[in-house]
Amino acid sequence: MTAVIRAESLTKFYGESRGVVDLGFEVEAGEVFGFLGPNGAGKTTTIRLMLDLIRPSSGRLKLFGLDVRKQSVAVRSRTGYLPGDLHLYERLTPREYLRYVAALRGLDGLGDGEALAERFELELERPIRALSKGNRQKVGLVQAFLHHPDLLLLDEPTAGLDPLVQQTFNELLREVVTEGRTVFLSSHILSEVQRLADRVAIIREGSLELVEAVETLRARAFVRVEATFGTPPPQEAFAGLPGVRELERRGPVVVLALEGSADPLIKALARYEVLALDSHEADLEDFFLALYRKGKSDAE
Amino acid sequence: MLSSVFAKTLYDRLRSFRWWCLGTLAFIALYGSVFPSLHGKQSLNKLIEGYPQALKGFVGFGGNLDIASGAGYLGTEVFSFWGPIVLVAVAIAAGSAAIAGEEERGTLDLLLSLPVSRTRCLLEKLAALVCEVVALAFVMWILLVIVSSAAGMGVSAVNLAAAMLGLVLFALDFGMLAFAIGAATGRKALAIGLSATAAVIADVLNALAPLASWLDSARLVSPFYFYSHGDPLRHGIAGTDTLILLAIAVVLGALAPHLFRRRDLSTP
Repeated sequence: MTAVIRAESLTKFYGESRGVVDLGFEVEAGEVFGFLGPNGAGKTTTIRLMLDLIRPSSGRLKLFGLDVRKQSVAVRSRTGYLPGDLHLYERLTPREYLRYVAALRGLDGLGDGEALAERFELELERPIRALSKGNRQKVGLVQAFLHHPDLLLLDEPTAGLDPLVQQTFNELLREVVTEGRTVFLSSHILSEVQRLADRVAIIREGSLELVEAVETLRARAFVRVEATFGTPPPQEAFAGLPGVRELERRGPVVVLALEGSADPLIKALARYEVLALDSHEADLEDFFLALYRKGKSDAE
Repeated sequence: MLSSVFAKTLYDRLRSFRWWCLGTLAFIALYGSVFPSLHGKQSLNKLIEGYPQALKGFVGFGGNLDIASGAGYLGTEVFSFWGPIVLVAVAIAAGSAAIAGEEERGTLDLLLSLPVSRTRCLLEKLAALVCEVVALAFVMWILLVIVSSAAGMGVSAVNLAAAMLGLVLFALDFGMLAFAIGAATGRKALAIGLSATAAVIADVLNALAPLASWLDSARLVSPFYFYSHGDPLRHGIAGTDTLILLAIAVVLGALAPHLFRRRDLSTP
């Protein structure tokens, strides 16, 4: 089976400045693929390359096995796109705009737009210029979904959506994936990707750091334990304990990373006066920060 | 209603188009009402004869300075002054808005994420540009035909149409230039600035040509020369001149897709 998205050594430079460098990844049908990275990492560049809005400097990029340059129109007819920086026709109403989009996609009326608008409680008759940021984002989402696309390219999709609408959006994504359709979701919000994606690619400064299943990332992750002591324990108090690493020390507060059984750590802690103890499962955010800290120390 | 890029582009232009029509109506009514008081006044022509040559070049149309006649009056007031300004302005506005305007507003990204090829998008916008210019010229023509007969100018509807055709092609030359620059660069101000400058140069070259012999051959690069020198208000359509004006527009129009296809769209 061909991958829905296949990038090979994909590189894009804007003159001298870096877009993305040597990207290689595949996205399979029926998954939500999270594309995670800080602003300026190259997420939008990657999506715009897929739509032939910009052209790669080198490397190959195929969607549905089609060349994104030579077969761009065919690619775009099967793809729905929500830009990160959404610009709409201010004078049109959402209904007029969605009808235009549907017409250019060869659909009658609004396609699925009417039902989607109802679901998102989007008012169709007020001019777009009078809409709030959240409502504009809804217009963007509806236009991306209205032709029942095989692939959705969503660039920071939940920006400006209130929690209830995000809930609707999450449900919609789940349905899309259940139908075997595919979602490529870019975000700088780690918890969002963690919640929605099956696999995640982390991009930094134009290069892929890693591509992994969200579950694997979680398994790799650790429990973060933060203990506040009455008097700071000696430096070597937790050295050599199985599965325990000391991450940080701020006066009486010691932050530890724990993998595996908590027992040795609890027994070690019990020797000192512990005023407070906080622990939670490290989320992608912790992982992400750890990755970045590592990158930084490598560079130094 | 908004079922194609063509229709959408026309719809966007409609707002300003109404005002251009209204202005056209006001101007032509004004010109028409002034003419009867000038009609046949040879003293006026004598006055103009005394103008410096440099000035005469700007007011004449096809070398004709007889503003006491209907054809001379329309040539001077409408076809060498106000008509080109309006139609060229409309053409440049439409040409620069087509790609560059939409790209700068950031709406082109979403438009070209739809299954519309760049070439098709461009051609539909180009067709809309031609339609807008032709439509405004048509409004001008109708009003001029009415005014010409009402004020006794004695210029036939056919000759007015011939002059108007030249004017449309002349305006399209600069509209297409703005369109092509916009398609090549995505920069609206650049498209407007360069093509408006080109239009002014074309006018000045043609007007000053009689002053110096070296300018006389330089006017051959001026579309204004081909638009005006056959004096279509008196002599009807001038075949070669018309074809040259058409060729300029076609070449610039054909260049646009070529320039647009190969570049990156700018990030909104």
